Amino acid sequence: MELRDSSPKGGVIGGGIQGISKRIGSKLSLFIFFVVVIVLILIGPVLPPGLMSLVLEMMILSIFAMGYDILLGYTEQCSLGHSLFFGVGAYGIVLSVLHLNAGFWVALLIAVALSFTFAFLEGLISVRLSEAYFVIITALFFSIFYLLALSMTWLTGGDDGLSVEIPPVSLGFASFSIYNSLVNFYLVLFFLIATYIILARIVSSPLGRVFISIRENQERARFLGYNVFRYKLAAFILSAVFAGLSGALYAIRLRYGNADFFSFMWSVNPIVWSLLGGMGTLIGPCIGVVIMSLFQYYVSAWWSQYLVIVGVLIIVVLRVSPKGIVGYIKSKREEALSGEG
Amino acid sequence: MEKGRGMKLLETVGLTMSFGGLVALDDVDFSVGKGELRGIIGPNGAGKTTFFNVITGYLKPTKGKTLLDGEDISGLPPHTISQRGISRTFQITNIFPEMTVYESIWAGINSRTKQPWNPFVRADTIGDISRKAGEICELVGLSDKMNLVSENLSHGDQRVLEIAIALSTDPILLLLDEPTQGVSPKEIDNLLEVIEKVSQVTTTIMIEHDMNIALSLSGTITVFNEGRIIAGGSPSEISESEEVQEIYLGIG
Amino acid sequence: MIPLETIYTFIFLLVDGFLWGLIIALIALGLSFIFGMMRIVNMAHGDIYMVGAVLSLYVLGWFGSFWLALLIVPLVIGLICIPTERFVLRPFEGRPAVTMIATVGIAFIIQQTVLATYGGIPKKMPDPWPMVINFLGVGYPGYRILIACISVVVLAGLWLFLFRTSYGILIRATIQDREMASAIGINDNRIRMTTFALGGVFAALGGVLAAPICQVFYLMGNDVILLCFIVVIVGGLGSLKGTLLASLVICTLEAAMTIVLKPIEARVAIFAVMILVLIFRPRGLFGR
Repeated sequence: MELRDSSPKGGVIGGGIQGISKRIGSKLSLFIFFVVVIVLILIGPVLPPGLMSLVLEMMILSIFAMGYDILLGYTEQCSLGHSLFFGVGAYGIVLSVLHLNAGFWVALLIAVALSFTFAFLEGLISVRLSEAYFVIITALFFSIFYLLALSMTWLTGGDDGLSVEIPPVSLGFASFSIYNSLVNFYLVLFFLIATYIILARIVSSPLGRVFISIRENQERARFLGYNVFRYKLAAFILSAVFAGLSGALYAIRLRYGNADFFSFMWSVNPIVWSLLGGMGTLIGPCIGVVIMSLFQYYVSAWWSQYLVIVGVLIIVVLRVSPKGIVGYIKSKREEALSGEG
Repeated sequence: MEKGRGMKLLETVGLTMSFGGLVALDDVDFSVGKGELRGIIGPNGAGKTTFFNVITGYLKPTKGKTLLDGEDISGLPPHTISQRGISRTFQITNIFPEMTVYESIWAGINSRTKQPWNPFVRADTIGDISRKAGEICELVGLSDKMNLVSENLSHGDQRVLEIAIALSTDPILLLLDEPTQGVSPKEIDNLLEVIEKVSQVTTTIMIEHDMNIALSLSGTITVFNEGRIIAGGSPSEISESEEVQEIYLGIG
Repeated sequence: MIPLETIYTFIFLLVDGFLWGLIIALIALGLSFIFGMMRIVNMAHGDIYMVGAVLSLYVLGWFGSFWLALLIVPLVIGLICIPTERFVLRPFEGRPAVTMIATVGIAFIIQQTVLATYGGIPKKMPDPWPMVINFLGVGYPGYRILIACISVVVLAGLWLFLFRTSYGILIRATIQDREMASAIGINDNRIRMTTFALGGVFAALGGVLAAPICQVFYLMGNDVILLCFIVVIVGGLGSLKGTLLASLVICTLEAAMTIVLKPIEARVAIFAVMILVLIFRPRGLFGR
């Protein structure tokens, strides 16, 4: 991850090539990430319940957001139907525990595997379509699931949903009850860290570079010999898996799953997060999550129409920096850096 | 009509492309040999770019076939044909706007590795690719601009980058579609040098609108008109041909 | 033998569906315009429809006349759309994705403002024409026939405008080929404003027409907007006749299915059919 010109690994070329990782600013991102993780690890035990719930929500939704960034930020596919996978993840866990008597890890695995499967099947159909057609067909898919969830109340509990008793988390040497808020907290933190590490590695890998090439110029990438469909499908499935994971964790947190998991809100939210925070940066959408969650938590208390502010915020942010908050920070940094050079 | 040097690398047999009533390519029999620098000229709408589009799989021909090194590649999708070794540039600059020169070339080289989709290693650390990228940059003269973002390059440099990206896949056949399009007189000499260097490394077919450039660079010239090949031969033969002059009368 | 009653019920369902298709066609055509011009998916479109319905309730309350509402609400909304396009959307020109999200922002604002002022309770609007028209010995609600008449008149007027006036032809040309249109010097900005306003007018008109037959509720736009998007896409982007056809067919079909399915099931079924259409025609029925 060093600058080429300071570490001649694999051959020195001329005046040095800016390492790809430097270009995506991952040094700074990694630093921020470490700081955030350490803070989270430390404050776990001392958070009051209200705040803990808030932080938990932000962590779970950040998993959703980072996965979605791969789709929207890295391959520019705007899915309006990811609530489908969020809901599948939630019901995956809830139904496995209720009907299959599955243990914690098995249930979680089923939830994620189901998301993967649905994403694969839907992707085969949807990814082929372009732009607005893609947006609408993903909307059609989630709508179908939402409507089915509402009407098949024998299976899904409809609007009211299904409450479930989450089995304890067993780690071989000991079993922990998820009802202990600390256990819940560190479990989610674990998944958050794992998600970031996996996705950050993917993004700086050749696979990630291909994604970016597809985003920058899909046709060009095709003429370079890349089977663009396969890569877009891979991004679709990847984002769906993390949406499913976050849906499962969300259901665990709430101890129930209902039709709302499939609703339009969970399809639009990822887009808003990405936009506010900055697409294609992994941590950008997390910032979007933080902002939206804080808004919801604090502002909605005194003004239930807080979404108006969000609406205005969206427009203002877009005007100032179409690349979101992270984009704004990056461009300020570049200005500063090039000013010195 | 054409004298191919060496083996036929690319051959089309009866290639026809029609869109509804419009016939863009009409029974085109074309061939180019290994090591050639072939120029393709002809007035606007003669079907030159359509020809490239069909060969590279962007369009499916209505009739006829394309053979690459003896193998039939007709009807294959663009990414497969690229993998078989045909690389092209575009008339309207088609690069990766927000990627740097290095990253763009990196992408091309990566596509030829065994696992271009590898999610486990850090892209940075693949020494092979960065070495090759450096070599290509040197060949085209962009070494000192490697870290510049593509969309910030001058138009002439972008056209050079266009060629570099096409080269990065180590093609056996390079198709250049009006590479000098829109390039200022200042930068044209550099571009032509690059094309000459490149053509010594790879078999090249070049569509060129400017007659002078085409005549001075190419070894052999093919003339298209209204979807058909109407003439072919050495630059001097072509420039003396009355037929060709007729077509170009009135066209700058 | 199918009982006569069932046949009548079925015909009523079809007619109802067709009527709803006309209303949706109006709204969706507005959406189609906006997409054709600005290449953006106007996420606030459903909320413009909703505001049309809400405003008509207010006008009815203030002036006592539904017909007045029908006339002035769409015009007022169209006028509001003009500065909206100029000041909120114009700065994002050339960036469809960003503009689309900006419309999400607008949608939030509109929805929540309505919630704050009009409230969250669905209200019903009284029937503006409580007549029963007797046709073939069967009674049919007069207002619904009026919807049909008004819609047809408006659609006919739209057709005349687009195909018979020079300005209309200009608009169609710009929708068909944006680059070409600006190349031959068509005033882009003025046309943008006009089409966005026109789109808004149609959405609002749909809202006013729909108000007496739906519950007027601050979220009523969400349902409608999804249907409109589907209709525009399945009809084919850039094709106005596709949008019209798709609305009529989809709404009528969905209504027909309710003879055997529950409304929710009918909707699922129609969505599944739409997915099938997109599989075999990835650019919609008449899309370029």
